[in-house]
Amino acid sequence: MYSKAKFVLIFLLGVVASCWGFLEHDSWITVELQHSLAANSESFSFRGNVTIPSLNSGLANVEQPALSIVDLDLLKKLALGNEFYRLKATVVYSNGAKAQFITSNKACRLLQAQLNDVLWVSLDPSGYVTGITVSQDTAPATVECTQEDVNKLVEKQFSTDVLIRHAELAPVPDTAGFIQKVEREREARERGEVRDNRGFFAKYWMYIVPVVLLVFISGATNQDGAK
Amino acid sequence: MQEKWLLAGLSVALLLGTCSALYEDQIKKFDWRGVNVGALKQSRVDLNHFQPRILVSTHEGVVASLCVKTGELVWRQVLEQKPRGDIKLLQVSGFSDDSSETAAAPMGSNLGFDMLTVQGHAPALVRGWNTNMGALEWEWSIMPINTERAQDALWIYSKSVLYHVLPAWRSHLEVTAYFASSGHSTGSTSKVIAPWITQESCTLSGTFYVCTEGKQLISLDLVSKSGQVIRTSLETEPKGKTQALMGLNGVVIVDGKPISVNKDQSICGGLQSSSYAVGSFNYRKILAYADLSSGILRINALYLDNCAPAADLEQSLVFPEHFGTPSLNNFDCKQKRNGEGKNCMFLFSTTSESIVAVQQGRVRWSREEALANVIDSQFVDLPLADSEGTLENEMKGKAGDFTSFERDIASAFLRRITTQAVQIRSLFLHVIGLGPPPTDTQRAGLVRDSFGLHKMLVLLTRAGKIFGIDNVSGKHHWQLYLSNVIGFANDEQMRLIVQRSAKHFPLQPLCTILGKNAVNGNGVLYRFNPITGKVAEGGLVQLDYKIKQLSLLGETENDFVKGILLLDASNKVHVYPEHATPLADGMYLYTADVKSAELAGYFVKYAGGQLSSTHIWNARLGGHNSEQQIIGVAGKNPIEHVHSQGRVLGDRSVLYKYINPNLVAFVTQAPDSTHKSVLNLYLVDVVSGSVVFTMTHRKVRAPLSIVHSENWLAYSYFNEKLRRTEITTIELYEGKTQANSSVWSSLQAPPMPLVERQSYILPTIVEALRETITERGITNKHVLIGTASGSIVEMPWHLLDPRRPIASTTQGREEGAIPYIPELPLPTESHINYNQTVARLRNIYTAPSGLESTCLVVATGLDLFVTRVAPSKTFDLLKEDFDYILISIVLVALTSGSLIVKHLASRKLLKQAWK
Repeated sequence: MYSKAKFVLIFLLGVVASCWGFLEHDSWITVELQHSLAANSESFSFRGNVTIPSLNSGLANVEQPALSIVDLDLLKKLALGNEFYRLKATVVYSNGAKAQFITSNKACRLLQAQLNDVLWVSLDPSGYVTGITVSQDTAPATVECTQEDVNKLVEKQFSTDVLIRHAELAPVPDTAGFIQKVEREREARERGEVRDNRGFFAKYWMYIVPVVLLVFISGATNQDGAK
Repeated sequence: MQEKWLLAGLSVALLLGTCSALYEDQIKKFDWRGVNVGALKQSRVDLNHFQPRILVSTHEGVVASLCVKTGELVWRQVLEQKPRGDIKLLQVSGFSDDSSETAAAPMGSNLGFDMLTVQGHAPALVRGWNTNMGALEWEWSIMPINTERAQDALWIYSKSVLYHVLPAWRSHLEVTAYFASSGHSTGSTSKVIAPWITQESCTLSGTFYVCTEGKQLISLDLVSKSGQVIRTSLETEPKGKTQALMGLNGVVIVDGKPISVNKDQSICGGLQSSSYAVGSFNYRKILAYADLSSGILRINALYLDNCAPAADLEQSLVFPEHFGTPSLNNFDCKQKRNGEGKNCMFLFSTTSESIVAVQQGRVRWSREEALANVIDSQFVDLPLADSEGTLENEMKGKAGDFTSFERDIASAFLRRITTQAVQIRSLFLHVIGLGPPPTDTQRAGLVRDSFGLHKMLVLLTRAGKIFGIDNVSGKHHWQLYLSNVIGFANDEQMRLIVQRSAKHFPLQPLCTILGKNAVNGNGVLYRFNPITGKVAEGGLVQLDYKIKQLSLLGETENDFVKGILLLDASNKVHVYPEHATPLADGMYLYTADVKSAELAGYFVKYAGGQLSSTHIWNARLGGHNSEQQIIGVAGKNPIEHVHSQGRVLGDRSVLYKYINPNLVAFVTQAPDSTHKSVLNLYLVDVVSGSVVFTMTHRKVRAPLSIVHSENWLAYSYFNEKLRRTEITTIELYEGKTQANSSVWSSLQAPPMPLVERQSYILPTIVEALRETITERGITNKHVLIGTASGSIVEMPWHLLDPRRPIASTTQGREEGAIPYIPELPLPTESHINYNQTVARLRNIYTAPSGLESTCLVVATGLDLFVTRVAPSKTFDLLKEDFDYILISIVLVALTSGSLIVKHLASRKLLKQAWK
């Protein structure tokens, strides 16, 4: 009831900027989130909805009601038992197809992060979801939660960032680039433009060393002669 | 500037460093090759030829000639891969089924043949061979119009004519005759109407096409002009499939009884046996049959003309259990030189895919052809020598028991004295010959060497036979045969697992085989000692559930056994042995369905004496309609150590490696409308279920080989557009900082590693990829590339490195990266098996040795090749040709020289002082 719409602009942290993966045909998906607040239970309760209007832009519209006191207590119990907080995500594609995913993380970590989590949506090359993973950004202070840790929880509202991982195109053997490089080198050599920016000694050491040696030897013999 | 020169020199040195090859005198010093032919299909024992021989064709598409005395290969021809190389018929000249002296071609003309084979169906290749050398003499082929139907085609040879019989099920037979040696058709194709024929009920026996229908046999003589249908009634309805009896025209075996449908061929009644063979003896045709009952093999024989028993041939012998059930394939007899009696050789094929030759009531030789299909392998450490073992035992002691330090010293000293006393006593007893006899393994020389290079190579084969082979000498120390155990569903083979290594003296090492019961599909465990090949700890265990996934647990404290965690078909978890169950707490498991490309992750919890599993994640790699299928899964070797945590860049900063032991690579392939075929690579963390990285290749397809180690991945595939094999390499880095250097947790992993990637052209066809592995991971990693031509190429990671710079920048050079060249070189020096080609190479297995520099390698396929490689050269070993004498002479000379000079110097000083 105190739902707060939150728009998150996503910047994917890529390795090489040129390797962005983009879909040829952009589409939208909605993800319905349900979570299980009891260990080893198969019953899932509604958590929220995520709408991603454009997979390419990665903008997501997250709508999650606040947790009730009962649910919060359950979550705390889960954290004390060092149990998994399990999330069921039902993806609905633009063509009406549905796919269900399950992801889990330690409930304790969710509490420590004050219900802040990141939802990673991995896509395959044709824009279908391969996996949804929930994780926390902050590194936890402790691995297991004590009552004290649990009491630190003040937030009642999930705040979720949605990040999309696109598939990338694989590299192909760069024969053209290599041939061009060889061509360029050959041309440069033919034009005699191989700029030799080595130092004087580096360039002519093979001439200098024998001369110096000769000077030394002759000097030594001269000394003998002088004696 | 000078640095630049140095680096250029260094990179040249690096390139030169890769050219490490074997010296000529090192050939076969630490490698050996086993040559196989595969499971026997057809054979012809010929003792009366001027050069006695056994000609065989096998299920692996091999024709070969074996030596009668030893069973060694005289020659071998490996034909094309299946289905092209599937041998349909082997016909040896002079052994026609209806006693016509065949191939009536004059000697020396190219129309006759020694041996003829028919292979494949589209095209069907007919080849004539010279049986003395194994040379191909001529060949002709036919391409059928309907290739699908041609798969069921049969071939018969009769009187220089080869008949091609093409059944159209439930309709008719098409029979075409060709002159065997030329391939010319003798006339038009004749159609024989036979609406009763079905694939399950029919066989071809000589020229007769025999089908069962209810309680009768319906047969047709395909060669006779009349085309008359012969009906033979049986006493009971046949249970099994009818089999043709080779060598007799129109005789079939129905439920172990030979029955003739040819009125010109009579057969003796009242016979019942599992296998028959026809041969000649005293110039009369003879029928031999052999049966195994309670470990005794009985061979009997009858004269075919009067059904009198041929007593000379009868024999019985104890048949070793590890061969499985024998089936008589062929036999031949030879007049002894002094004219009294005959000497017959019986050739058996067995269910364990062995070829066994029986002569004069004993097994003359056997060939272990199961080794042509090795599916798993392990190098097992040998046990310590007895004396070292007792010492080890004493040293281990129970140091924890002592409370006071002084007592510890006193008792340790006492123990030391007693141990030495015991050793002296045993030495003395040994000298005077009264010591305890050495154990079997000691006597067989199976003792650990100081460098850990000598190991027991345990090989598991598809037929269910297990071998213990010495990795240095190639000697087979023991064999075991598991009947009725097959591989798992989902194209998974049986598994061989080392549950306890040889490190825990006096406990014996323990290996386990996991498979599926062929009858009810439930899981099967078989536990044995890998050094002696003896059954251990209960041996065969039939589980009452189906195995879906398995994983190894840590060692237990009391008996050092690594438990096996099993996930059954209903997602329940089990641990074997049961006392290791508490160790399963907190384990993660994952499953991958090959067909639907769906992954699922489970968390195992042990609480209150109960094991439970929770489904914690799933991933769908199948795309929209599950059109993608998983064609490759590659995890990391669990025993791998990563020595270096990072890579030093040109600017002296460190790029930390993303070393995630839970990262598994999945490769899927699917046909695509625009790109013909698409190959996707997924890197999935199988603990958290996070799809870490996805990459797609277009116009690319299988065959795929993949290798995954440390922070890198390399996989080869076929590029359809450019029709060549390419290899893509990936390296994962965390970045310039490390999230957690001590403990890795997948649940708190850095979400996005940096991914370096590059593709190269590989001028060969790849069959297998494997990384080298060493004890501590300090040695460089090389990738072993098994090629279709049977060679194994050692490729340094420097060449596969995805960070090889395209533009030759100083930074790349300072990092030690070689400039990018699109095609990878395959120099002949880096072929580790030089000319010892491994036919039909399928897999390469590696294992660390006791030496950090050395990695043990076994390549399997039709042949077996065992060797060792030293990727960074043998830096921890002196060279074999190290000149000990020279260095001692130099040392002695230097020492004595310095002494003399010292003496002289003191004398000179004294003289000078006197001046």
